[in-house]
Amino acid sequence: MEDAGMMAAWVTPGREQTAAGEEGFRHLYEATSRPLWGYLQHASGRPDVADDLLQETYCRFLLSRTPETDEARVRSYLFRIATNLLHDRYRSRDDSAYEEPAECGAEPDEETRLDVQAAMRQLKPRERELLWLAYVEGMSHAEIAAATGLNTMSIRILLYRARQKAGGILRPQGAKR
Amino acid sequence: MKQLGCEHEVDVIQALHSGQWTDHLRLHAAACQDCSQALHLAEALQAGAQRAEARFTPPDPHWILQRARRRAREIAVARMGRVLAALRALAAAYVIVAAAWLLRGYAAGQYQEVASAIQPATAMFALLGAAVAGVFVVAGLWPILGQRARR
Repeated sequence: MEDAGMMAAWVTPGREQTAAGEEGFRHLYEATSRPLWGYLQHASGRPDVADDLLQETYCRFLLSRTPETDEARVRSYLFRIATNLLHDRYRSRDDSAYEEPAECGAEPDEETRLDVQAAMRQLKPRERELLWLAYVEGMSHAEIAAATGLNTMSIRILLYRARQKAGGILRPQGAKR
Repeated sequence: MKQLGCEHEVDVIQALHSGQWTDHLRLHAAACQDCSQALHLAEALQAGAQRAEARFTPPDPHWILQRARRRAREIAVARMGRVLAALRALAAAYVIVAAAWLLRGYAAGQYQEVASAIQPATAMFALLGAAVAGVFVVAGLWPILGQRARR
């Protein structure tokens, strides 16, 4: 999302119908698809679900015709759609089981990776979402509230509990060195 | 009210993202249990994010745009379908009310004089017209009723 001009051209009525709109969408997609997929994959625990929900997120975003032009707000809005889709999925079927796909190549810190997997498996989907948005996306409590539909005070408490829970599962740094 | 976590936790995470650490914050993160736990967790999750992103090949955005356009067309068609269904229902209601009104009139004998004045050929055309109208109404209602039954 470096090209703000392209972004502004895209966020106009009938945006997806024009060449400028399509180009703007490509820029937005390039900038946000990877972090959004990472979020969906770690929150759902399933790469196939993440693939489906990623496409559906952008599809709904294009149809929503949001008047937002601010990059951070557009990004937050995408995460909001993705979170809603995840919740719809949790409600409709039981696929909250966490699974990390098999890795290829050498792993620099295998123990940490396994610890994170174990922690993620034991966390609830909502806790995984909060931790990811706060620690990977670096969102503030207000931004997380906007993305999840919770209020800011609840985020503080829920995030604290999620961190305590995950921290209890992850081994302390000093213990494995 | 009890303080949940450390007030510098947000600063520590922001510093991790931006890479802009102050000496004070670095010392605090090492000494504070909450901040060091948050930092360790954030580093581990970020490593997971980098691994996930390296594996991921995003689908061509062209297909997403196509899908959105197709969905937009479907929504527009569904919206128009609802308007048409409402118009059909209105037409059906009008026919039913008109038929009831006519039958009530005949039953009360109010149209005896009018009916006797109508030529047999004219009456035939009127009946034929009513039958054709009835066929059109049934044909219009049939898909709507079928659609509801399938749901």
